[in-house]
Amino acid sequence: MTRMKYSLICLFVMSVFSCRDRYEPDVISSPYSYLVVEGVLTVGGPASIRLTRTSKLDTTGFRAELNAQVTVEGKDNTTRPMVHSGSGNYSSPNLNLVLNTEYRLRIRTSAGKEYLSEYVMARQTPAIDSIGWKRDEEGVRIYANAHDATNNTRYYRWDYDETWEIRAYYYSLYMYIKNNNTVRERTPAELVYNGWKYNSSKSIILGSSARLQSDIIFEAPVNFIEKDAERLAVRYSILLRQYALDKEGYDFYELMKRNTESLGTIFDVQPSEIRGNIKCLTDPSELVIGYVSASTITEKRVFISVGQLPGWRFQEYCPSFDVANHPDSLRLAYSGEYLSPIDAIYSLVVPGLIVGYLSSYPPCVDVTKRGASVVRPSYW
Amino acid sequence: MKGVFFSVCFFMLLFRCAAQGGKPVVISGQFENIMLKDFFNQVESQAPCFFYYDSLQIDSVFISVTLKDEPLVQALEKALKNTELQFSVDENNRVFITKGLKLITTLPTQFFSEPVTRPVGLPKDSVVDYGLQLKKPIKVVSPNKLYEIGAKTNVVKGNATIAGNVRNAKTGEPLVKASVFINNTYSTTTDAYGYYSLTVPAGKHTLNILAIGMKDTHLQLMVYGDGKMDADIPEQVTTLKEVVVSAKKTTNVMQVQMGVERLSYESIRRVPSLFGETDVLRVITTLPGVKTVGEASTGFNVRGGSADQNLILFSDANIYNPSHFFGMFSSFNPELIKDIELYKSSIPARYGGRLSSVLDISSREGNKKKITGSAGLGIITSRVNLEGPLVKDKTSFIFGARTTYANWLLTLLPDVYRNSRASFQDINLGISHRIDSSSQLYFTGYFSNDRFSLNSDTSYGYSNRNFNIKWKKSFSSKLSAVFIAGADEYQYKVFSDNNEINAFTLRFKIQQLQAKANFVYYMNQRHSFDFGVSTVLYKLHPGSFTPKGESSVVAPDEVETEQALESAVYVTHRFNPTNKLSIQTGIRFSMYNYLGPQQVNYYAPGLPVTSSNLVETRSYSNGESIKTYNGPEIRFSARYAFTNSFSIKAGYNSQRQYIHMLSNTTAIAPTDIWKLSDPNIKPQLGDQVSLGFYKNLKSNTIETSAEVYYKRIRDYLDYKPGANLVMNHDIETEVINTKGKAYGAELLIRKPGGKLNGWISYTWSRILLQSSGPDSSLLVNRGEYYPANYDKPHDFTLMGTFRVNHRFSISLNSTYSTGRPITLPIGRYYYAGSVRVLYSDRNAYRIPDYIRVDFSMNIEGNHKEHQKTHNSWTIGIYNLLGRRNPYSVYFVSENGVVNGYRLSIFGSAIPFVNFNIRF
Repeated sequence: MTRMKYSLICLFVMSVFSCRDRYEPDVISSPYSYLVVEGVLTVGGPASIRLTRTSKLDTTGFRAELNAQVTVEGKDNTTRPMVHSGSGNYSSPNLNLVLNTEYRLRIRTSAGKEYLSEYVMARQTPAIDSIGWKRDEEGVRIYANAHDATNNTRYYRWDYDETWEIRAYYYSLYMYIKNNNTVRERTPAELVYNGWKYNSSKSIILGSSARLQSDIIFEAPVNFIEKDAERLAVRYSILLRQYALDKEGYDFYELMKRNTESLGTIFDVQPSEIRGNIKCLTDPSELVIGYVSASTITEKRVFISVGQLPGWRFQEYCPSFDVANHPDSLRLAYSGEYLSPIDAIYSLVVPGLIVGYLSSYPPCVDVTKRGASVVRPSYW
Repeated sequence: MKGVFFSVCFFMLLFRCAAQGGKPVVISGQFENIMLKDFFNQVESQAPCFFYYDSLQIDSVFISVTLKDEPLVQALEKALKNTELQFSVDENNRVFITKGLKLITTLPTQFFSEPVTRPVGLPKDSVVDYGLQLKKPIKVVSPNKLYEIGAKTNVVKGNATIAGNVRNAKTGEPLVKASVFINNTYSTTTDAYGYYSLTVPAGKHTLNILAIGMKDTHLQLMVYGDGKMDADIPEQVTTLKEVVVSAKKTTNVMQVQMGVERLSYESIRRVPSLFGETDVLRVITTLPGVKTVGEASTGFNVRGGSADQNLILFSDANIYNPSHFFGMFSSFNPELIKDIELYKSSIPARYGGRLSSVLDISSREGNKKKITGSAGLGIITSRVNLEGPLVKDKTSFIFGARTTYANWLLTLLPDVYRNSRASFQDINLGISHRIDSSSQLYFTGYFSNDRFSLNSDTSYGYSNRNFNIKWKKSFSSKLSAVFIAGADEYQYKVFSDNNEINAFTLRFKIQQLQAKANFVYYMNQRHSFDFGVSTVLYKLHPGSFTPKGESSVVAPDEVETEQALESAVYVTHRFNPTNKLSIQTGIRFSMYNYLGPQQVNYYAPGLPVTSSNLVETRSYSNGESIKTYNGPEIRFSARYAFTNSFSIKAGYNSQRQYIHMLSNTTAIAPTDIWKLSDPNIKPQLGDQVSLGFYKNLKSNTIETSAEVYYKRIRDYLDYKPGANLVMNHDIETEVINTKGKAYGAELLIRKPGGKLNGWISYTWSRILLQSSGPDSSLLVNRGEYYPANYDKPHDFTLMGTFRVNHRFSISLNSTYSTGRPITLPIGRYYYAGSVRVLYSDRNAYRIPDYIRVDFSMNIEGNHKEHQKTHNSWTIGIYNLLGRRNPYSVYFVSENGVVNGYRLSIFGSAIPFVNFNIRF
């Protein structure tokens, strides 16, 4: 929190003198593939641990570690298994962990290698007091406030799921049926005017009150939304989850964040090796990436609607076109998804005769073309 | 040329009477209150003699004397007893009346024993007796004058030591490193105060004094014994044809030390510089064996040493942060710099406390004759300096100030940074006072300040403050001494009040008080000694973190102040067994005491230094010695000159360093912290062997040298992965003990003078580090050797200046070096919602090579000597090729995708213009 804000200065120095270019070095690939362990041993709730492997830089996708045996061992000599639920996820509906007891994670891979984490204390995460936001010239900054009256937590991590509603530029009443090259009216279930998009946090969000007299997190930045973004077009919601960490865990995330998110300024520290709290028992020199922590999770949701942000508007370019109601025109306009029908244009001469369709680009008409789901979430 | 002072008076021939030599001359008479002129007339009428005098000197002199058949000499003695006048009588009874000084009318006994080929026209000139007994030092007037040194004797034998000050006749400034030599056999150079000492056989000699920009001076000396020979040398005013004055012709071959680089202000000025700001530290980095991490850093690395292993002295003041504006500029006002000296391997024993080099920047003394000044206008800074006498010929001052108006740069920034501010200043003041010819007093003050704020967010400020007093005294022609006392301070402050709950102020400060006494004893031509003592008291405030504003809930925190005392005694013996062989042996014994009050953590021996292995915390009272480190440092070098233009030198040096800079950034950042050695952090030790070959070509106009070295560093501090160094109370738990080895070869071809001058240097070098410690999981690269950040094996520099004519010159500087090592990503993985990068071993790869070419033109105004102001323009282009040299390469995860970027500090060619005015 009080770390030197070099990045800001350097932003300054850089914008005066420097420039950055894309850099794609010759493919440097490590022949090794290391185990990556991610997850929280949740106290009082469903818990999930994900096992993946590092891969070469020039590859895409991730190799999940399948069919490993994952168990949670308590210092009280209890063991709890976590079951592989696919894609390298090992989960348990409830581990029934006891607060202030130490647990560790043991992993035996299908290749026969064994990994063991250090014991971590199951911690109580304090509640999120509030989630606030501030509007400035660039956009909306969302921040979190929390405190621990017992002064025990000190180190915090957050992640979030965000949801935002979008609306199509046009309310489409018609849809094109490719099979028989016709246009027909939409049923209520086929309406694509309202939709919801989802996203999860992609960066590590940390906060610490270690330097403060009392354990208060005041306006810790959580997320930033640019003005005029699609997220603020109609209504936006963020579900923030808060995790209590120990110092070692905080250091681990901080180092990972420093290594992969905040490099690139002049006074930045050099990237350094990541070491978590998991070791390979079979080969002690093998690198294992990941930090296992155990805690309860607290969460809070807030909404921001466009009415709270007067003056900002999500911009779209949505001209409309008239498409003649002729099979050739319909095929040309709609079969390649060049346009989508909005509404019928009736003949002024012959009542009820549809001479054409008012049309626009598919994203202006159909929210699913913008990656949204039309299913209204339960909390909306 | 003007203003040369002739301290010797001449006489005038007024009249003469006929010669009747041989007869004894007696004089009688009663002279009562008679004018001297009339007295002489009456004597001339009595006896066959002739008086020669300057009527101006005697016209107001009245005498009263009674003479009775007195011989001429006794008569004159009586007559002139109460006057300041002296007389000499030659064998023809010619009487020469002089004021203050006495003429000698015979030649020294061995005068004609010189080879016959010597011109014998000299005796026609006046011969003046100047002995040591006459306290007035000689000042140079005429090459045709014969100066006698020492008490006159008839038998001339043995050796004698001549010593004195060489000064600029116009400004009274001492001339440093002027060559003083006789026949190329006996030679020396003046020291930083213009002082020299030379031991020669008695007899007649021609003493040559050469200095850049000054008239070559040749003095006729008759040496009887030890004596003083001060010289004021006029400046060289070149009129029609350039005269090449090569003062240091043979220094690189003949001096015993190796790995010494010396640059004068003039040669620094010629190097094209960023924004036209003449920058000492940037010039330094063009020299062989000196590297820099990158452009946004004026920290430099000498022969594999880290940036904190350089002792940077500005007029003997210790400068901790030599840069302004985040390393874009060095914090030394170029107008006040006389010259710089960089010791890379043979570090004289009088310097200590740092492992790899000493950069000694000496500032000029003020003009002792008249008030002068200069002003400069650049696009980033402007400066003014003023100098002149406070008491003419005795006390002078020099004052310089620089300030920046870099705020206009901020207007180029996006609007959000509109409220940003950046500024820096530096101020120098020097006062020198000549107590008498053998004793001088100097005062130096230095202040630099940097402030920077970004909108209303975090603000930074840092400042160097230094002052010292020096007393230079020459006790005799053989023994001289310099006494220095001073205080140095460096501090920085960071504060933020954007978020009122977290508003804070962070402060760091290092203070030191130092005292030194350095003696130089020239025993004779074969033996001379340097010896002295020095002591430094450090007081280090490692950090205080305090709330700012009333609503801030930041917990005040302060890391305990540290104190230590570093003392040293040293002696250097310079021994020249033969003219060809010269040996310099130095030993410095340094002792370091870590002092209370302090709470010291002790950890279980043999276990990793972590909080879990803490055994006990002991507290110590004020002034209590907690831990003492001491040890000898050896400084040895030898030279064998096969010919006047070829020599081989070898040296061994060891150093100890008790104060360490801890930084986990690549450059010197303004907020790097310093740490004193304590029971957990041992002093750094380093030693180096080096061998060099020196050859001058084309009658010493081209110097070439090749040096090789091997260096070891022990107990160097590297940081643990992810270490947090700021406000850390147990910083010993964040560092790893590291050792290093560095080796390399440096080649240099330099042409110091001529129409086309400059240098070409090439360095091949490596610096490898290895961490060690009980916790193998924390070792960098599993405890294997890895290259340091500044390991750049190939480094090539070409620096050339072509003087088209006296008013126009062009300079070109080109640099090539291997890209510095970097830690690169070697794999990717998915964590916390994003693709992350897995990094290689530390410094396993390199960024692309660095190439840069700079160009500048110097245009001088006309060279009429007597105009009110002299103007000059410097116009140039930095990074002529516009090459985007990567400073660093980094990879970021952006929206779930890993992107690689290379960051360049200067993305294009940067033109600059600078205007200077002298008055």
